[in-house]
Amino acid sequence: MKRTNKIYTALIFVFLYLPIAVLILFSFNSSNSTNSLAGFSLKWYKELFSDGATLLALRNTLVLAILSSVIATIIGTLAAYGIFRMKNKHVKNALLTVNNIPMMNPEIVVGISMMLLFVFVGRLVNAQSTLGFGTVLIAHITFNIPYVVLSVLPKFKQMDRHLPEAALDLGCTPFQSFYKVEMPQIISGIISGFIMAFTLSIDDFIISYFTIGSGFETLPIRIYSMTKKRVTPDMYALSALIFLSILILLLISNFTGNSNNAKEKKPVTLKQKKTRRIVIASTFAVIAIITGAVFISTATTETVVVNVYNWGEYISDGSDGSYDTNKAFEEYYSNVLSEERGHKVKVQVNYTTFTSNEDLYAKIKSGVGGYDVIIPSDYMVERLKNEGLIQPLDLNNIPNYKYIKDEFKKPFYDNGKDTYSAMYTYGIVGIIYNTKYVDEADIGGWDLLWNEKYSGHILQFNNARDAFGSAMYKLGISVNTATEDEWRQALSELKTQKPHVQSYVMDEIYNKLESEEAWIGAYYAGDALSMIYNNENLAFYYPKNEDGEFATNIFADAMCIPTGIDAENKEHAEAYINFMLSEEPAIANAEYIYYGCPNTLVTNNQEYRDYLGEDFDVIYDPDIEENIDDLFSNYAYRNLPADKLALLNKLWEELKVDSSSFGGGIYIVSGVIALAIVGFIVFSYVVKVRRRRLYWNTTPKTK
Amino acid sequence: MNEKKIIELKGVSKTFDDEVILDNIDLKVYEKEFMTLLGPSGCGKTTTLRIIAGFVTPDSGEVLFDDVKINDVPPHKRSVNTVFQKYALFPHLNVYENIAFALRLKKVSEEEIYERVEEMLTMVNLRGFEKRDVNLLSGGQQQRVAIARALINKPRVLLLDEPLGALDLKLRKDMQNELKNIQRKTGITFIYVTHDQEEALSMSDTVVVMANGKIQQIGSPTDIYNEPENAFVADFIGESNIIDGVMLDDFKVRFSGHEFVCLDKGFGKNEAVDVVVRPEDVDVVPLEKGMLRGVVDSVTFKGVHYEIIVTINKFKWMIQSTDYVAPMQKIGIYVEPDAIHIMKKSEFSGMFGDYSSFSDELDHLSDVTEEEE
Repeated sequence: MKRTNKIYTALIFVFLYLPIAVLILFSFNSSNSTNSLAGFSLKWYKELFSDGATLLALRNTLVLAILSSVIATIIGTLAAYGIFRMKNKHVKNALLTVNNIPMMNPEIVVGISMMLLFVFVGRLVNAQSTLGFGTVLIAHITFNIPYVVLSVLPKFKQMDRHLPEAALDLGCTPFQSFYKVEMPQIISGIISGFIMAFTLSIDDFIISYFTIGSGFETLPIRIYSMTKKRVTPDMYALSALIFLSILILLLISNFTGNSNNAKEKKPVTLKQKKTRRIVIASTFAVIAIITGAVFISTATTETVVVNVYNWGEYISDGSDGSYDTNKAFEEYYSNVLSEERGHKVKVQVNYTTFTSNEDLYAKIKSGVGGYDVIIPSDYMVERLKNEGLIQPLDLNNIPNYKYIKDEFKKPFYDNGKDTYSAMYTYGIVGIIYNTKYVDEADIGGWDLLWNEKYSGHILQFNNARDAFGSAMYKLGISVNTATEDEWRQALSELKTQKPHVQSYVMDEIYNKLESEEAWIGAYYAGDALSMIYNNENLAFYYPKNEDGEFATNIFADAMCIPTGIDAENKEHAEAYINFMLSEEPAIANAEYIYYGCPNTLVTNNQEYRDYLGEDFDVIYDPDIEENIDDLFSNYAYRNLPADKLALLNKLWEELKVDSSSFGGGIYIVSGVIALAIVGFIVFSYVVKVRRRRLYWNTTPKTK
Repeated sequence: MNEKKIIELKGVSKTFDDEVILDNIDLKVYEKEFMTLLGPSGCGKTTTLRIIAGFVTPDSGEVLFDDVKINDVPPHKRSVNTVFQKYALFPHLNVYENIAFALRLKKVSEEEIYERVEEMLTMVNLRGFEKRDVNLLSGGQQQRVAIARALINKPRVLLLDEPLGALDLKLRKDMQNELKNIQRKTGITFIYVTHDQEEALSMSDTVVVMANGKIQQIGSPTDIYNEPENAFVADFIGESNIIDGVMLDDFKVRFSGHEFVCLDKGFGKNEAVDVVVRPEDVDVVPLEKGMLRGVVDSVTFKGVHYEIIVTINKFKWMIQSTDYVAPMQKIGIYVEPDAIHIMKKSEFSGMFGDYSSFSDELDHLSDVTEEEE
């Protein structure tokens, strides 16, 4: 019996901690593959600590955590004191309930409601950019307070209620009584509340995500934006480190707060208290040192800030000893401005990232941004332009604009009199297949994705527009002007494909194709090349339609400047864009991103060509280059009218409705469990009522 | 006893949540006096103490200290100190620091603190306990620390709120003596709250009996016992037979169908009164010699005496006698004139039925409610 108990307990722990153990193991793996362990190495840790942006995010997270937890601890402790002293029990209970609600409330609700509040208030006071460090700090303080109250209040309750009176009686002023007598009784609650607030603040992603503005990125948000592409092993290293520090904090918190249990009878001896005091003091010392270091390092001179909002992993950022674009700009532009103004000017690029055009749109539209440079995709540029959310560029300030190839100067989304955008990159969708399994005779068109021979090994986009796009390119239907019938035709094409599809994926495609779990999938050329780099069996082609013409999606991302920023900031923004178009950064970014670059300074550069080698002919395939205009005008996605967009979403749902990866079984099982629980509650209630009725009937009705 | 007044309450009233706790209290406390506030739970004795300490502000009336009104003086500015019911020692400080607490606040020099703490420890017999953790002391030791802590400030008045309530019986007796000695040695005025009448009688110079938020009687322990002012005091202090009677004339009272000679006068002719006869003042005599006659209901051996319950005229008398009588036996009883005490009728008349003795145990149970206030 005892043995099975032990085994059971062991199983629970394995279940809980195995994932973390694996994570830590892989953080020491010398290869970056998730499939094999190659040997012990610290290189991911080294890489992590040479990554400036991640370290900056770490610093931000720490500053935020320290400030928010300290403030929340002070406010929460005072609140607990107030609640404790409250005479009216009903008000007291009501307050406690109100205090508990935010903890039960889903974070997403808290996050969204806070964002709304901040934006609303920001609009009222006409602030230029509402969201920023201040708002995320307020948000963290707010969600931390209930936890502090909850850990401090029981300490007040445990305290002999005559203690404060005894203190007053012996000559303390009320204030002295609080810090000389009551504080020592509740200090362990305050410290465990503080540590809890601190860890929660470090952990928080959702609330930060909604309330954070431009130019401030916390670690969880940075990790999230990095994982959108592919989780690199230095993230394992970082996660392992975070896990370890949280573990240590929790141990300290348990140690200081180990009398949290109100039932504990044994009085705490003074000796225990002394050791506790040492731990507490050292905790605070460490926190104080970190805070001090952080604040010294953030003290600055006159600073010009440029807020840049870009896709994740979409700039050469200095990792692996590469060119650090933003740092280079900071140095370059600081020199320019210092010379111009005659004194030292510090330039700071606040670089934050988004994960979809719709995210970006939401931020810009709600007016919370405060961004100076944004890099949306083609159709989004068009939409932002039409809605007056971006402003024309002053090309006099961007002399390097002339290096953009002519065919990329007036793309469909920005071909008016004014110029609203400067193209950053473009990419073309192609099909990646595994030469080991796929017959060369079958390649060439989109029908490879429908080929029954490879049933169960085909990947399709998990994104309505791209999935329907593939069917429409195959059928020769225009992706922008299709009629409802044509949309339905595409749907039935996708339904025929569905039985053969292994799964609907976005970034998971990397692992699936590299590990040869799947053999066929469509993705962008640059990404395809990096997959081929990891698995030589993979190959790539640009699909043609039945008429033998290239028929595939092309996209472009372009640098724009939002409206609403003042003239000086606009100049800085244009300086940034100009810098991005100059030779060195443009080449570094093109090499880093591995997509097509519209800049002639790049494509004509021999070193760049050498760097890409054979890949150059894939990305800048001459056949494709000839047809760029055609691809842009016929195959790039445009903004769909609202009715078509609704139709698309409806059809997409229809396709996916019974495709949930669980199958229907899981719903039935959850339903049965829920019913069983309800049944049990009803049953026990009925039993109780019946017993009570029996009792009342059999006992005499006298008092 | 010194006759210099130190604290005076004038017409003090206090109401909590529409419940009258104190109703127009007048009280004078003299220097070097050991005064006890005695009464059942909820009678307002603790509230009176807390008003003097400054933790409660009266709704109306005046609190005078040396004839100066101190209603609005906060507790830390009053020269009174309190020994709390559950000691309220500071758990984060050791014995020495607990006692030194008040001096530390006054920024007294370390040498003087040491001297005075040692003096206090000597007084409460706790020398050598300086570095002990207060949480690990026994109840009696904690009590001594609490007393030392309160006395180190040399207060003019020491307030003690049921300080012995949490101790066992033997320890309580020892501490009673010790407290009395300390009071005598220091000459500090003690105001002591208790519901234990025996404790009150044995320790106090003056006993203040309270009930229903009012003072029922103030007097020395012997006055309170021998000359209770109303049925409540008679009932609460000791055991008694309280019988309805009629005052026929000065020194002449009729009860239980018999006319008695007594030592009281000044009542109206034929005024209804309460008559108190203490059980130990009743003599059992042969049937024919008895002033009253009755049948023995029960006899209980109590060690020094037998407790005999006799029904006379439908009223059950309690008699304490060293002579044994058998149950169901018919006996006569005899009461000396000086054993009869006549009281005016009051709101408490008739509340206690047959012979009565206030039960400590029941009071302990109901104490919990007072704690909550």
